[in-house]
Amino acid sequence: MPRIPLGDWVDSGVDWLVDHLSWLFDAVKAVMEGMYDGIDAVLTAPEPLLMAGILAVVAWWLRGLLGGVLAFAGFALVDSLDLWDRAMSTLALVLVATVIALVISIPLGIWAARSKAVSAALRPVLDLLQTMPSMVLLIPAMLFFGLGTAAGVVATLIFALAPGVRMTELGIRQVDAELVEAAEAFGTTPRDILWRVQLPLALPTIMAGVNQVIMLGLSMVVIAGMVGTGGLGGAVNEAIGQLDIGYGFEAGVGIVVLAIYLDRVTGALGTQLSPLGRRAAAKAPTRAWSYRPRPAVAVVGVVVLALVAGGLGIFGSSAGTSEASGTNVGKGEEIRIGYIPWDEGIASTFLWKEILEERGFKVTTTQYAAGPLYTGLATGQLDFQTDSWLPTTHAEYWTKYGKQLDDLGTWYGPTSLELTVPSYVKDVNSLADLKAHASEFDGKIIGIEPSAGMMGLLKDKVLKEYGLEGTYDVVDGSTPAMLAELKRAYARKQPVVVTLWSPHWAYSDYDLKKLKDPKGAWGKGDGVHTLARKGFADDHPQVGAWLKDFSMTEEQLTGLEAQIQKAGKGKEQDAVRTWLRQHPGLIDAWAPVAAEDAGSRAAGVS
Amino acid sequence: MSARLEAEHLFKVFGRRPDEAVKRLREGADRAELRADGTTAAVIDASFRVGAGEIFVVMGLSGSGKSTLLRMLNGLLEPTAGSVRFDGQDLTALSDRALRELRSKKISMVFQHFALFPHRSVRDNAAYGLEVQGVPRAERERRADEALALCGLAGWETSWPDELSGGMQQRVGLARALATDADVLLMDESFSALDPLIRRDMQDQLLELQKTLRKTIVFITHDLNEAMRLGDRIAVMRDGRIVQTGTAEDILLRPANDYVASFIQDVDRSRVLTAAAVMDTELRGDEADCGCETAAPDTPFTELCAISARLSHPVAVLDTARTLVGVVPRQRLVGFLGDEPGAPAACDNDGGKVIGRA
Repeated sequence: MPRIPLGDWVDSGVDWLVDHLSWLFDAVKAVMEGMYDGIDAVLTAPEPLLMAGILAVVAWWLRGLLGGVLAFAGFALVDSLDLWDRAMSTLALVLVATVIALVISIPLGIWAARSKAVSAALRPVLDLLQTMPSMVLLIPAMLFFGLGTAAGVVATLIFALAPGVRMTELGIRQVDAELVEAAEAFGTTPRDILWRVQLPLALPTIMAGVNQVIMLGLSMVVIAGMVGTGGLGGAVNEAIGQLDIGYGFEAGVGIVVLAIYLDRVTGALGTQLSPLGRRAAAKAPTRAWSYRPRPAVAVVGVVVLALVAGGLGIFGSSAGTSEASGTNVGKGEEIRIGYIPWDEGIASTFLWKEILEERGFKVTTTQYAAGPLYTGLATGQLDFQTDSWLPTTHAEYWTKYGKQLDDLGTWYGPTSLELTVPSYVKDVNSLADLKAHASEFDGKIIGIEPSAGMMGLLKDKVLKEYGLEGTYDVVDGSTPAMLAELKRAYARKQPVVVTLWSPHWAYSDYDLKKLKDPKGAWGKGDGVHTLARKGFADDHPQVGAWLKDFSMTEEQLTGLEAQIQKAGKGKEQDAVRTWLRQHPGLIDAWAPVAAEDAGSRAAGVS
Repeated sequence: MSARLEAEHLFKVFGRRPDEAVKRLREGADRAELRADGTTAAVIDASFRVGAGEIFVVMGLSGSGKSTLLRMLNGLLEPTAGSVRFDGQDLTALSDRALRELRSKKISMVFQHFALFPHRSVRDNAAYGLEVQGVPRAERERRADEALALCGLAGWETSWPDELSGGMQQRVGLARALATDADVLLMDESFSALDPLIRRDMQDQLLELQKTLRKTIVFITHDLNEAMRLGDRIAVMRDGRIVQTGTAEDILLRPANDYVASFIQDVDRSRVLTAAAVMDTELRGDEADCGCETAAPDTPFTELCAISARLSHPVAVLDTARTLVGVVPRQRLVGFLGDEPGAPAACDNDGGKVIGRA
């Protein structure tokens, strides 16, 4: 069979689209982000509990008293978990994606229901959208729309589109043919048949489709979190990255609360919209817990709460004013830092956030998976990131994007890559010892993402050097999976060998033993580099210079990491502040604002 | 009787290359031959005329093409060949818009399974046709209520279709068709889905309404008894073709072929036949002179039997001018009941009364 270069075609197709239709993508992006910002602003404007109240009144109206109370309890729980802003941003994302998905899918479904040809043509497309692994679609979405909301919305949208189209088509096709014929027999126009007969009768099915769209959108939120949409998806990704079970569960609960709320409310909305459903609901006996206020009462309730919210918002906003510190170099210029949720990445990112804010910059930090982070940096949507392991671990990204990036040098090193066993595994101290103990480890080395540079090195070089090929299999997986396996084995004192690197928090949490590498197969180890987008150092010479000169000792880094770990999720910057207070003078050392401003500018340019 | 609806050499063929199929059918090919090629000839060369105020029944078993035929009469289906004329206007020549206009104002339809809109109240269902016409709400509700009252549903206006029994639902269907004031009603097996008793009821009500409304009705059924009860004229369809058209009596007394004959075997002829159909017209002239009870030409068969039972001689039939037009011997009545057209044979028993003694 000849190799069909399908991948190349897709590549060049995507390139062509990026080159020629960027204006279109920009317009779409602007619309989506505008919608998202608008909805998010509305959702986060009131005090969380007040907003929870508004959402609860809606649930009360549609579902009854019990529904309202449970909705309030759910949202109060989200607020008490400190996830309110994230939950609202996720809600906004899902709403935007849902609205756009419906605007596209319902007309398509109607069209498909009326034309067999359209239906036949659409079906494989829908299959593709629904079953193509979402990560695969995420990459082009990122290239077209950049990192952040728009890419997340598009990925969610694509995934959620199919059930909307299918259920609309199904609903219309299910309408009794005799009813359609009756409408025709009385001279109804095709358009009126749609509006007066088919859509009202298909409504329950269509609403089930809407419900599916929302649910799929929510399930896509976690994946969208990888391209920096933030929200609960971002929280879940952070938790996965750090194997933080508790935080992951909290964020998950947040998603569940949203899911249940949206599911029940849209379900009830379907009943309210369809005349048949309204009738059935009106017939059902009313009890105290299912008492529902009349729409007018509900609207008044929402409006009153919203007005209260608006009033509070006005008074609230006048209270807090930001104070500018004396050493204002940034003058409010914006700097966007991206990071991978690895400990040293989080520590250095929030350290620089704090330093730069201290110096008068406006800093946003967003968390990504490694791939999107490099893409974002290469396309200039991010300014810099501090956690690039070069030359080995991130070699692939560097080969791909190196030309579009500026390397601002190492700030920590050397790092090392290694195979590691728990120290209770007695007889294995060096890579050379592994061969004899293959059966103990079940012939398995627990690896991480197959795309990681380290995995390539392990499979191509390290195994060969020590003659482990054939005796050991490298298990591809992910960093969280590897860490989970380590944790599990460690708790049971079972022998396990994992791929690991230093610095890593696992070394402080568990009693581990790095296997010696007498033949030097792993190489010399990486340095942790700061990478910036092309031209960042020219735009911000001062910051460029600071970053180039930046370095941390192992003691400083582990100390800062420990401080962040202690402070807990969401309080990274407070931890950094505390730590900086304990180590006075470091800010001035890392970001000097001395008199020779001109000198450092010259250094930045060179 | 002027024709309101006229069908001329109507063909309807489903499947590939319908025109060619029509050509073959005209040359005498039958349904089975075409089916082998994957085309279905639903209606083959159907011609008939329906006069104003007439109930024209199309009778046939399922699959005989009667529903397809009905749907060509209001343009829901376009004939493959032939023409349908409504008040002289050829429907095949009308635009879609004109056809819709015609359906909304002139020809309405009642369906087998009622086809009521479940998301509309009884009143809104009855008002549907008027709503399509664009009649203002107040007026259409008034007219819908009138139509409902006419069908015996006053007081049910705000109910919902699923709260009504089958018979009542079909009354709503009838009211919906009557509300538009269309003067042609197409009824597609409209009473077939109802219980026998309710069906009788509805048939009676339709006949009752027809006395005052004088609509032109094309009624489809597979039930010959129903056809005979309702139809002024009946067309019997078989395998897409109309095999006989005529009054109930024509069909009963002069079936065009064995198929029709086999059909009418289980018909309760006593309900269909009248004195005019069974009477002997060879008269002596003095049969009515005795002053006994007489019958009229439209006296039903059962009543005729009753009269005959009270008389010792044949029943005389007089028309409205009291002129003798026929006479019905008792032996005739018994012969019709037993489907025995021949004259009695002479008795060959010598004793003559032996049988009677047992």
